[in-house]
Amino acid sequence: MKHLSFLLVLAGLAAASVAAPAGKVDTSASESRQSEFYDRVEIPLPAGEVCEVSSIALMPGKKVAIGTRRGDVWIAEGAYDADLSKIKWTKFASNLHEPLGMFWKDGSIYAMQRPEFTRLTDKDGDGRADSFDTVCSKWGINGDYHEYAWGSEPDKNGDVWMVLCLTGSFHAHSPWRGWCARITPDGKFIPTASGIRSPGGIGANDKGDMFYTDNQGVWNGASALKWLRPGSFQGNPTGNKSAALLDFPAPPEPTSGSRILTERLKYPEFVPPSVILPHGIVGNSPSGIACDMTKGKFGPWESQMLVGEQTASQVQRINLEFVNGLYQGAVFHFLGGFEAGLIPVRMDQEDGTMFVGGSNRGWGSRGSKPFTFERVRFKGKVPFEMHDISARHDGFEVTFTHPVDAVAAADLKNYSMDTFTYIYQSSYGSPEVDQTTPTVKSATVSADGLKVRLVVDGLVRGHIHHLLLGDIKSKAGDTLWHNQGWYTLNEIPAK
Amino acid sequence: MRTSSLLALLASLVFVTAAEDGAQVYNSLCVACHGPDGKGLNGLPPFVGSDWPKGPAARSIKIVLNGLTGPVDVAGKTYNIDMPPQGAVLSDEKIAAALTYVRATFANGAGPVTADEVKAVRAATAKRTTPWTAEELLKAHPFPPTKSPLKHLVATVYEGKWKEMPDFSMLKPVLMEDFNVGIIDPAQSGRKEYYAVVWTAQFDASEEGKYLFTFDCDDFGSLYVGGERIAEVKGIGPLGKRSKEVPVMLKKGLTPLRVEYVQYGANAAVVLAVKGPKDKTPRALSNTKLKVVKEKVSIPIQPKDGVAAIYRNFIDNTTPRAIGIGFPNGLNIAYSADDVAAELFWNGKFMDGGHHWTDRGAGNEPPAGTNVIKLSDGQGILLEGAAGNVVRYGREKEGSEWKFFPVNVAAEFKGYDLDKAGNPTFRASGEGFAVSDAWVPEEVSGKATLTRTLKVTGDKPVVIVLARGLAVSGPTDGVAELAGGLLVRAISGPAPKANANDKSLTVTLKPGETAVLGYSYR
Repeated sequence: MKHLSFLLVLAGLAAASVAAPAGKVDTSASESRQSEFYDRVEIPLPAGEVCEVSSIALMPGKKVAIGTRRGDVWIAEGAYDADLSKIKWTKFASNLHEPLGMFWKDGSIYAMQRPEFTRLTDKDGDGRADSFDTVCSKWGINGDYHEYAWGSEPDKNGDVWMVLCLTGSFHAHSPWRGWCARITPDGKFIPTASGIRSPGGIGANDKGDMFYTDNQGVWNGASALKWLRPGSFQGNPTGNKSAALLDFPAPPEPTSGSRILTERLKYPEFVPPSVILPHGIVGNSPSGIACDMTKGKFGPWESQMLVGEQTASQVQRINLEFVNGLYQGAVFHFLGGFEAGLIPVRMDQEDGTMFVGGSNRGWGSRGSKPFTFERVRFKGKVPFEMHDISARHDGFEVTFTHPVDAVAAADLKNYSMDTFTYIYQSSYGSPEVDQTTPTVKSATVSADGLKVRLVVDGLVRGHIHHLLLGDIKSKAGDTLWHNQGWYTLNEIPAK
Repeated sequence: MRTSSLLALLASLVFVTAAEDGAQVYNSLCVACHGPDGKGLNGLPPFVGSDWPKGPAARSIKIVLNGLTGPVDVAGKTYNIDMPPQGAVLSDEKIAAALTYVRATFANGAGPVTADEVKAVRAATAKRTTPWTAEELLKAHPFPPTKSPLKHLVATVYEGKWKEMPDFSMLKPVLMEDFNVGIIDPAQSGRKEYYAVVWTAQFDASEEGKYLFTFDCDDFGSLYVGGERIAEVKGIGPLGKRSKEVPVMLKKGLTPLRVEYVQYGANAAVVLAVKGPKDKTPRALSNTKLKVVKEKVSIPIQPKDGVAAIYRNFIDNTTPRAIGIGFPNGLNIAYSADDVAAELFWNGKFMDGGHHWTDRGAGNEPPAGTNVIKLSDGQGILLEGAAGNVVRYGREKEGSEWKFFPVNVAAEFKGYDLDKAGNPTFRASGEGFAVSDAWVPEEVSGKATLTRTLKVTGDKPVVIVLARGLAVSGPTDGVAELAGGLLVRAISGPAPKANANDKSLTVTLKPGETAVLGYSYR
């Protein structure tokens, strides 16, 4: 038995390496095409200041506020303008404690600082905050640099959701580390979900469901976009002991060395990652989250999730769907070439401008500048892409952004699929394991040429299904900007 | 069937070994920190110019498998950033391929690493669950000794108790020996205490140019280069503060070098290092190595243009939710939002952001100034005869585990207001009452003073702890003196009272009452 599983693991490794060359991403090539579709511009920051952008808040009147890791809050006028040389920066507050998540509401800037959630108000109108109201500060901190607190924008009830990183990203040495909590407008602290490791951002989808990104490490074979269903367990049991503080039921104590599917079927409160971002293939450390609700102003990605990436200085694109009570979907490479490791991502839904900021202090990034603030706009030319991948009982349906060339799109040799998962374990990360290679049995192109229905033999529940497209062109002859996607198949839909 | 699938597996295994691409592994997992050119990105350690990727592969394999924690010296710089473990992520083959790539590309001369080597190290370290420290790794896998430029090293040993340098020409040696290792080591004397050694050698300069010699010893000695005394460490004392750095211009070839050294008592040590014209880092010529001290980045945070400065980060000797305020008159406080109390008082410089604002910013930072006084510990707002009913969460260590529990306190931090000069009014409240706590810098009779105004509103009297756990003298004529020389003067309102039991100074305010206090150093 032991031998057999060893062989299976080895077989898995073999399949991974076979797939690897195909899965290797030539980011430089895709980033060089980026300028056909998107305009990425660096926004000048206040001269001589160190602005490691850790938060972005959109304000009325086309003003944009940034928070920095050193704790300053600056407000820009002119960040939307064509001529960015005239941008005007005003310092609103100094030396807060590493704000990670900021928004504007009712005349105040709200900032999730490491020790507290704070309302910053300029009461005397001189342009600087003079009133700092502590809305909530119930969680524990103890001086460990990893005990970050990430805050969302308010949900429809006005509650702000926060995710609390573990101590050193491994331990729970302070109360509520490894938990998600909601903070009500009157400052109540409501622990909402357990099982968190090391978040990099938090944000809602178009339905108002809250998601966060969790980074590869202990109990996380790979990083993922995870759904914060109230009452859920997110997979890392380190912070479980805080449950006793409010007499909550004890969260699951899963078995290390298992698989997420096995464990989450044992524990109904265990919500599996909605979309796994294969480590080293789709970035290494996901960060900020924005949902595209621009109604096409940012491209044809309405309702999709855009996720920042620290190490690879990128933004990934995710389509979500809800199957059997769980979110799942596909991740695609999207934007790259940013100047530093990205942290916050904010979308102006009216205007269609996406703002990103970042820093590479302490953690390296492909973008080589120490800090950056940038904006991205859609140029109007829709790239030929997989718009989304959607699961079916016997395969997938791929929707494209332009009608496909029907001959190539019906040709089975233009589709290859492999699946894998990760070991769910208490050690750091995991190799890709349990690889399989399903067979794409048929590809049927819809009458309008926008959809291809793939019937696949060998779907594996719980696995990431990697779809690699071959020489598929649009009807107009365009080549694909990105030719692969990774679908996390938590659930296989019913017929 | 069974045989054929096994064969297929084996076939694919062969393929694995051949297919693992070290460059690909490197460029997807390692590149973000170590850089595409191996020179390290954004203040993270390089491979180029480093001894770490060279030599025994086991050292590198261990780092990849379990990670590295704590300070590590790489190419002459000290880094203190954790390397995450990759053993659970990467197969033996992938680790071997990546290390082979690193060694071939960035550490020329270092040979390939095989999957079998990785497998063997993985098996041997299977029980290891925590990252390695640099010290552990170098103990198990030291760097190879480099060829010393000290040729014909001879040690001449003398016995005696000298408190200053003797005239060696008048003394009779007890021992004279050649040391081909080219490394100066007091142990070569064969003695533990009360002796002297004169080392003579020819220093082999590889090229013409400036050579920077570093010399230090415990207890004292002199360094001669080219027949001339270039450095002297005088008197009895330890290594560290008396270290000398002297540049000498040398021609290519051999130059005579002489070290005279005296050990008075025990704890012998000599530090001799040289940095040649092309060296990036000093090379040790003694068994005791020069300590590479990381350049401390200083980012002074000071009040500017008459406006107080604020610092919200982890401040040493108060709680994690600390708020530092640096006033333009040179007085500073740290207010604990956890304890709703002003907990630290100091003068001079306010804070230095160099620690928290570089790298990952781990740990606490002490105040940058002087005369730091810890005013109190624990809750600063109390109710008479009641704990209060505001729930906070505390922690306590039990063995190696932290235990959490709810704590009832009287009041909770509610924020602060800043006036135009940046002066804070801290706010706290509990059930049925609120406390405001304002601080303003002033000059009173030529002395820098902070005037503190405490005000209580609501429906019950509140005890405010001004100091606790330190000696209080007085109050006499309205002035209490806190240990460390801080005077607290009652200006108006209810007078503070000293309590000998818990060495505290408190003031009790009824609703609507205001107490004004002046703080200054004696």
